[in-house]
Amino acid sequence: MTINRREFIKANAVAAAAAVAGVSVPAVASNLITSSDITKLKWDKAACRFCGTGCSVNVGVMDGKVVATHGDIKSPVNKGLSCVKGYFLSKIMYGKDRLTSPLLRMTNGKYDKEGEFTPISWDQAFDVMAEKAKDALKKDGPEALGMFGSGQWTVQEGYAAVKLYKAGFRTNNIDPNARHCMASAVGGFMRTFGIDEPMGCYDDLEAADAFVLWGSNMAEMHPILWTRLTDRRLSAPHVKVAVLSTFEHRSFDLADNGMVFTPQTDLAILNYIANYIIKTGRVNKDFVNKHTNFRLGETDIGYGLRPEHELEQKAKNNGKTKGSSTPISFDEYAKFVSTYTVEYTAKLSGVPEHKLEALAELYADPKIKVTSFWTMGFNQHTRGVWANNLCYNIHLLTGKISTPGNSPFSLTGQPSACGTAREVGTFSHRLPADMVVANPKHRAIAEKIWDLPEGTIPPKPGYHAVLQNRMLKDGKLNFYWVQCNNNMQAAANINEEVYPGYRNPKNFIIVSDPYPTVTAQAADLILPTAMWVEKEGVYGNAERRTQSWYQMVKAPEGAKSDMWQLVEFSKRFNIEDVWPEELIAKKPEVRGKTLFDVLYKDSSVGKFSLDEIPEDRLNDESRDFGFYIQKGLFEEYASFGRGHAHDLAPYDRYHQERGLRWPVVNGKETKWRFKEGSDPYVKPGSGWDFYGKKDGRAIIFALPYEPAAESPDEEYDLWLSTGRVLEHWHSGSMTQRVPELYKAMPDALVYMHPDDAKARGMRRGDLVKLISRRGEVQTRVETRGRNKPPVGLVFMPWFDASRLVNKVTLDATDPLSKETDYKKCAIKIVKV
Amino acid sequence: MSQTKQSHSEQKQEKTHEYHVASLVAYAMPEQVSDVEAAINAIDGAEIHATSDKGKIVLTIEGDSHKGIGKKMDLLRVHKGLINLSPVYHQVLDEKIDENKEENYQEIK
Repeated sequence: MTINRREFIKANAVAAAAAVAGVSVPAVASNLITSSDITKLKWDKAACRFCGTGCSVNVGVMDGKVVATHGDIKSPVNKGLSCVKGYFLSKIMYGKDRLTSPLLRMTNGKYDKEGEFTPISWDQAFDVMAEKAKDALKKDGPEALGMFGSGQWTVQEGYAAVKLYKAGFRTNNIDPNARHCMASAVGGFMRTFGIDEPMGCYDDLEAADAFVLWGSNMAEMHPILWTRLTDRRLSAPHVKVAVLSTFEHRSFDLADNGMVFTPQTDLAILNYIANYIIKTGRVNKDFVNKHTNFRLGETDIGYGLRPEHELEQKAKNNGKTKGSSTPISFDEYAKFVSTYTVEYTAKLSGVPEHKLEALAELYADPKIKVTSFWTMGFNQHTRGVWANNLCYNIHLLTGKISTPGNSPFSLTGQPSACGTAREVGTFSHRLPADMVVANPKHRAIAEKIWDLPEGTIPPKPGYHAVLQNRMLKDGKLNFYWVQCNNNMQAAANINEEVYPGYRNPKNFIIVSDPYPTVTAQAADLILPTAMWVEKEGVYGNAERRTQSWYQMVKAPEGAKSDMWQLVEFSKRFNIEDVWPEELIAKKPEVRGKTLFDVLYKDSSVGKFSLDEIPEDRLNDESRDFGFYIQKGLFEEYASFGRGHAHDLAPYDRYHQERGLRWPVVNGKETKWRFKEGSDPYVKPGSGWDFYGKKDGRAIIFALPYEPAAESPDEEYDLWLSTGRVLEHWHSGSMTQRVPELYKAMPDALVYMHPDDAKARGMRRGDLVKLISRRGEVQTRVETRGRNKPPVGLVFMPWFDASRLVNKVTLDATDPLSKETDYKKCAIKIVKV
Repeated sequence: MSQTKQSHSEQKQEKTHEYHVASLVAYAMPEQVSDVEAAINAIDGAEIHATSDKGKIVLTIEGDSHKGIGKKMDLLRVHKGLINLSPVYHQVLDEKIDENKEENYQEIK
C-alpha cells in the first residue's frame, strides 16, 4: 500500500500521541510504501531549552535541519508529552533574522559608540574586545570588567565563563540572569538548610494528597508539571489543590481553594499557618526536637535600593547585619507567631477566614501529604528569602519534608538555572558546589582544582545583576559582556538604571545572541551565537536532574556558541596582561602562556582527546580547539562536588540516560535528600539529617510581615504586578524581533478588573498609559481573559519588546538575595 | 487514512511550501469531554483520533505553518472544560520535493 508523505507523518504523529495518552488507535498498516526522504530522519534526545522543568525531547534531523520534535516517551519528566513552548522548539533556530556576523558600531571604518552596526570578522571583533578589556584593566583594574550570563547557558558555558572571569581576569563581577528569578530561593535554602536546591523531586507529584501553589501559575508556566498534577488530582478524588496569588489566573481552574491576597501579605499567611499548627497541637514534636533549631531573624532590613533612597535612609538594619539571627526557644517562636491570628491575617490579606483555615488544615493534618510549589511570587519579593524561610517553617514544624509527597518545592524558570547558575556558581559571590568567594578555604579548594597559585581568586564578592547596571551607569564597570539573556527588557526601571549604563561613553558593551534583541541593539558589539542543538551541552533542571545532548545540526555559518566565544577570546590574553607579577612568581611556568593555555588547554579541561567523540557526531568546538572540551569542562567542574553531596556521574553516562538526579553515588541517583534510606549522605540511624548544617538541624526562622517597598496611595492608586504569560513565548518571541527599541505595537495588554476600568471611564481595548514615579508605558486595556486581577491591582506581562513594562517597575530588591521585586509597585492609569 | 482537510482561511493566506502536522493530547474535565470534542471538531485542520474513558483526547492539527497551528492551539486552550493541552509530536514537510517520482518511495518495515 502506498501512502503519501503527509499521511505517513500524520500516522507517526497519531501513534506518538496515542502512546503517551495510553489509548489505542486503529493500527497503522504495516509494510507501507512511502517517500524515502522522510524516513531519513535521524532522531536524538535533547533537553528542552525553555523552562526549568527539564523535559526531554526527541529531535528529528533531516539534511542538516531540525524538521521534527516529539516529547521523549523514555523521559521520566515529561513521559512523552511536550508543551506549547516545546512545540516551537524546532522553530527557534530558523528565524529570518538570525545573526551570522559580528556587528560593531562604526563610523568611517572605525569603532564609534554612536556609529552604525557594521559587519566585521570574528578576528576583528576579538581585536577590539581585547583592546577594550586591556584598556579597562590597565586603567581601573579587574573590577572594571564584568559579565552578565544566564540560566540558559549550558553547564560547560557557565563553567568556562566563571573560570575566565574569576581566575583569568580575577574579577567576581559575573552574575547570571537567574539573579532575577532564583536568588531568593538560593538564599532561602542556604539560610534554612545550609545547602542549595530542593530536597524532593517530581515523583512527589504522584504521591501528594494536597498541592499548594504559592505565587506560581503552573498551568501556564510549567505545563508539563501541571499535567502531572492534574492527572493526580483527577485520578485520586481525595487530592486537594490550593492556589494563592495576587490575581486569579489559569491555575485557579483546578483549585479547590483559590485565594487572591493583597500583595506582600503572603508573609502573614505563612506565619498564620505556623500559628495554626501550634495552636491546634499538631507540631511534630519528635521531628522538631531532633532535627530543627529556632532563630529570630533581623528585621527592618530595607529594600535593596540605592543607599541615598529615602527608604534606605529610614531602614534601621540594612547594613551588614541584615542577614543575622539569634537563637530562640520553641516557646519564644510560638509567642512570635501568635499575633498572626486568623482575624488579623484575613483582614490584612483580604482572604476570607474559612479559606485560610482550610489552607492551614492541609499543612496541619498529619495524615495529609502536602507539596508546596512556588516560583516568582515568592522569589521576586523584597522579602523573598524570608518567604522561602517561612514556607520551610511550616513543613519543618510538621515534619512534612523529604518523604514522597511531603515537599516544599521551589520551581525554576530557566532550563539550567539550577545546573548552571546555582550548581556551577556563576553568581558574583559563588564558586561551584555551593562554595563562596568570601571563604578562604573555598577559594583554596577552587585554586587547587584549577591548579592555580594561592591568591588567584579575589575574595571580594563582585557586582550582582542590579548593581552591575548601577555601576555601568556610574561608569565604574567599563568592559561588559552579556551572553544568553535579554536584560534590557528584563531588568527593572530601564529608563533610569539600565539603558544609561549601556550607552555611557566610558563603557564598551558586548552582547552575544542568536537574534537582534533589544539588549543587542543597545550594545556596541553584537556577537552571533549558536543555540541549543547547534552545540553540545548539559542542563540541570529544578529537581536536580542533569541532562546532556549532542550537537545535532551545524549553526548558521558565522554563528558560534557562547562557550567557543569565551574560550577563543581567552587566547587574546597573555598571563602577563591579566595577572600581577607577584602572582605569576608563585607559578613561574605560566609565564608567556595565554589564558587559553592556563585555564583550558593545559589544565584538566584539555585532557580528553577527540577520539572520545563518536565519529558520526558533530562537535564544532572540540574539533576546533583540538580536544573534547565539553567533557573536559564538565569533568573538571564535577570534581568540585564529588564526595561533597553534589556528586555527578561520569560525563559519558549522561549521553545514555534521560538525566540523573544528584547526588549520584555508586551510580545511583537520589530522589529525596536528607532522608535516611533515600539519601546516601544521611548518617545511619538519624532518620533525617540536614547535613548542610554542621549539627544536622534545619532552622525555623521567626520573621515578621513587613510592608512592600511601594504601595498604592492617593495619586498612584493601583498595584502593578508583572510576569510571564504563555502567549509571549509561543507567539515566537525567540524568533519574532522588533527592529527598534520602542516600536509601538500593542501586544502585552494590561489586565484589569472591569470595575477599575469603569471607574476610570475606560473600556476594553482602550489605549491607556501606565504611569509610575519612574516612567510610563502605553498599552491597551483587557478586562476579560484568563488573568483576572482583583479591584485595585493590574497585571501586565513583561515579555514584549514593544511594551517595556519595566520602564515603570521599581528596582527594589530583596536586601539578602539582591533579587528584584517585579510583582509590586504603585502606578496610575490614564486614558491616552 | 482520510484525505487532509485544508481550511479556507489557510488557502487564502500566503501559500508556504510547508506542510505541518502536530499531534496533541487534550485533558478535558470528565463531565465536559463531549463539549471539548465539539470544540476540537469546530477547528479547521483538527481531527480527533481517540478519546480515553479518563477524558484524554488524542488529536492532530494540520496546517502550513508553525504559527498557524499555534493559533489553533490557542483557540482550543481558552475552552473552560479543557484543563490542559499538550503537544506531543510535530513535523514539517518541505513540499517542494517531487511527490510523484517513483524512486522516492521505499518499503517501510
